[in-house]
Amino acid sequence: MPWMNKVSADRIKQEFKEVEVEHTEHTTNLHVKKEKLLELLSFLKNKEGYRHFIDFSCIDFPNRKERFQGVYILYNPDENERVIVKTWAKDGKLSSVQNLWACAKWAEREAYDMFGVEFEGHENLRRMFMWEGYPYFPLRKDFPLEGIPEVELPSLTELMHGRTEPPSHDYELLHTRIATLEDLERTEKARLQKKAQLVLNWGPLHPGTHGTIWFLFDLDGENVVQCDVILGQLHRGMEKIAENLYYFQFLPYTDRMDYISAICNELAYVSAVEKLLGVDVPEKARYIRTMFAELQRINSHLLWLGTGALDLGALTVFLYAFREREKIMDIIEGNAGYRLTSAFLRIGGVHYDLAEGTLDVVKAFIKDFPQRLKEYHQLLTRNRIWLRRTKDVGVITREDVFNYGLTGPVARGSGVPYDIRKLEPYAAYDEVEFDVPVGEVGDVYDRYLVRMEEMVQSLRIVEQCVSKLEKLPKSAPYINKEHPAVMAPKEEVFKDLEDMVKNFRIVVHGEKAPKGEVYVSGENPRGELGFYIYSTGDSKPYRLRIRSGALYNLSIFPKLIEGRTIADAIALLGSLDPVVGETDR
Amino acid sequence: MTEFWVSLLVTVIKVLVVLGVFLGVGAYLTWFERKLAGHIQARLGPKLVGPFGLLQPLADGLKLLTKESIVPAGADRVVYYLAVILALVPALMLFAVIPFGPSFKLFGVEVKPIVADVNIAVLLVFAFGSLLVYGTIFSGWASNSKYAFIGSLRKAAVIIGYEVVLGFSVLGVILLAGTMSTTGIVQAQIERGVWFIVYQPVAFVLYLFCMLAESGRVPFDIQEAEAELVTGYNVEYGGMRFGVFPLAEWYLNVMALSAIAVVLFLGGWSGPRIFGPLSPYLWFLIKMFGLVFFVLWLHWTLPRFQAKDITEIGWKVMLPLAVLNVVITAFVYYFV
Repeated sequence: MPWMNKVSADRIKQEFKEVEVEHTEHTTNLHVKKEKLLELLSFLKNKEGYRHFIDFSCIDFPNRKERFQGVYILYNPDENERVIVKTWAKDGKLSSVQNLWACAKWAEREAYDMFGVEFEGHENLRRMFMWEGYPYFPLRKDFPLEGIPEVELPSLTELMHGRTEPPSHDYELLHTRIATLEDLERTEKARLQKKAQLVLNWGPLHPGTHGTIWFLFDLDGENVVQCDVILGQLHRGMEKIAENLYYFQFLPYTDRMDYISAICNELAYVSAVEKLLGVDVPEKARYIRTMFAELQRINSHLLWLGTGALDLGALTVFLYAFREREKIMDIIEGNAGYRLTSAFLRIGGVHYDLAEGTLDVVKAFIKDFPQRLKEYHQLLTRNRIWLRRTKDVGVITREDVFNYGLTGPVARGSGVPYDIRKLEPYAAYDEVEFDVPVGEVGDVYDRYLVRMEEMVQSLRIVEQCVSKLEKLPKSAPYINKEHPAVMAPKEEVFKDLEDMVKNFRIVVHGEKAPKGEVYVSGENPRGELGFYIYSTGDSKPYRLRIRSGALYNLSIFPKLIEGRTIADAIALLGSLDPVVGETDR
Repeated sequence: MTEFWVSLLVTVIKVLVVLGVFLGVGAYLTWFERKLAGHIQARLGPKLVGPFGLLQPLADGLKLLTKESIVPAGADRVVYYLAVILALVPALMLFAVIPFGPSFKLFGVEVKPIVADVNIAVLLVFAFGSLLVYGTIFSGWASNSKYAFIGSLRKAAVIIGYEVVLGFSVLGVILLAGTMSTTGIVQAQIERGVWFIVYQPVAFVLYLFCMLAESGRVPFDIQEAEAELVTGYNVEYGGMRFGVFPLAEWYLNVMALSAIAVVLFLGGWSGPRIFGPLSPYLWFLIKMFGLVFFVLWLHWTLPRFQAKDITEIGWKVMLPLAVLNVVITAFVYYFV
């Protein structure tokens, strides 16, 4: 995807004298003073067509006076161009852009939670992932990786006998403070503005939430007056972890974000790192990556289909979907060695060559799957009850897609053909043919149809990858081990001294990345998964920001559910399809 | 005086037989449902406990009976326990008015295979059907939980709507038979040689819908709605107290309402005598379990409605249809 063109950059320079335009190797950045920020952003949104909000985050520079730098990433859907806007905080404060883009509210809350940057004009500036009353800001550079231990947990039996001092059950002091029940109660009270009689609590563990999300519904009868989403139950501080690891070490962590589409996460991450390091990927590796990413997409959509139907009471579809999932899982397991969090990709290629017989199994799957899809369609697509539950529920307009930074099938269900695979092809997506299905109305039913059709398109891609891979010779390289930053495959390490030395060097010291910044995203089943890497020339990223599609997609949920029933909430949440591993990171 | 004691003895035996058979069948229906669900869902169902998993219901029962049962804090204890009884009793009482076959003579005593052959049997069915809702409402109210509360309110809304439809859909049959006695209705069908489903197809379909709604089966299982309300009204019950609710609602109630459907629309025990002297009973059971099978089949195939949709369909579509059906039946019956 190209970055802001020269004409618009010149226009902006004319309009805003003090704006600095910086063309780095991989991005185009606009530097603006905090006072002019809102003006510039609304100019970008209304005049230049940068309507789609992609991401906002901060970077901490403890040695500078201003310390925090806000980074906005915007997208122009007409020109297919991105731009980064950067601004320095003043006295630890930035202006809120919630009036321009509604989803900025959540992004700014996250920045407040992680950096302690305050946002002027934010309607509800609260902790996003940590609980109310937590005194630290984890992503600041002076916050230690292992956290700040404060509370030693007493064991349950001790509590029951009233003994808490001194605790015999020594909890490992490496752990930082953990939220107590009182903390959670305080969090709940702070979030809740009681308007109606009944407050229904969903979660943090509830069968309808697909993970550990915490919903609070204010009910009037069965209608939701307002809804609040409390995240953070699965927050592991991925971004903090990434800052403390070498580039190649972070790869398995990406599996654990959106754990249902692990290979897609890895693909987005390695694409970003490869761009930063300038690594070329061999053709075979690109096709293997594409094939597995698409298999993973089918896998992920099948899980969505199964659980979505289960939520609406169609119990059988769930097990049907798992029958097909099992086959894909087997293919992945046979190649990567793991089923769920596969850690299959490597910087510069893939971990293993294709296992023997993989292509035959995939071909059998391609042959079998269309009939199965037909089965699902027969069970649901024309079912009167299914239509009644999904039609005209949770309609998302096109403006809302841009306003809330929606991506993936949720955006496409509303008729916005935003698909990174087409707009900024990575892996082998520019060499295969596929269509991007879009919806018309933007309701739950449209999103359902879009995902169903996406599975067909994914199957098409897999088919093309198979025929391409069959033509490639078996000896073709699957990893670019010539590049100094790429580790050689394990079996060669034990035979070749040079490879062994190189691997040793990378594992111990890491490979230094050039200075600069890069934003690369992948089209995940749950929307755009973007990695913004800010490198200061070290072997670890200075700042690695993960743009989660699921988080932004979820941010529209409270708006959509207002005035609808609890039963709609479950259909709607299923159609937004968040995975908590990715929303919380 | 001896006549009274004999009839009392016969009634007690009949009660015991009905109780034993249908509680047992109810328990084994869980096995059947799980087996059926398994095969619908491309898996095997229970198969480890006993041959074909046949001892599974016993194992389940044992588990439920030995489980610790916790009464939630703030629960209304009296109503909490009352709900269990109120869920089970009306479902069992429904079997009292079901004739399983023609009367026969045993040791010179005429025995009717029906516990209580009263001439207002159909009214009793409505009465017990309405009583069933108290089990649900009490359980939701007493267990001091919002999920249970919302679930039971949903169920109440559904039952109120569908009781009315049920009443009207059955009226046509009563008009045709000229009696409210269940035995009488079956006799009327046998005398005419026609099942009432032929005269009353609309009423039969309406009755099926009401049956699903009353017994809380898919697509009307909104009071359970495990995705949004966990399991709704019975979420705070544990052990066998929990087990009673599905047993009563999902199995006993479905069987009883199917049996009544057989009586009203499918000619009761009538059928060709191909099974020897037991053939009326077998016919009755075959028809009844045919309907039960249909209900289970729907359960594992369809998604679930929303509460507001169900009541909307009940009041706006089904009730007018049912009333129209009664009016047309009355006119035709009077003039033809």
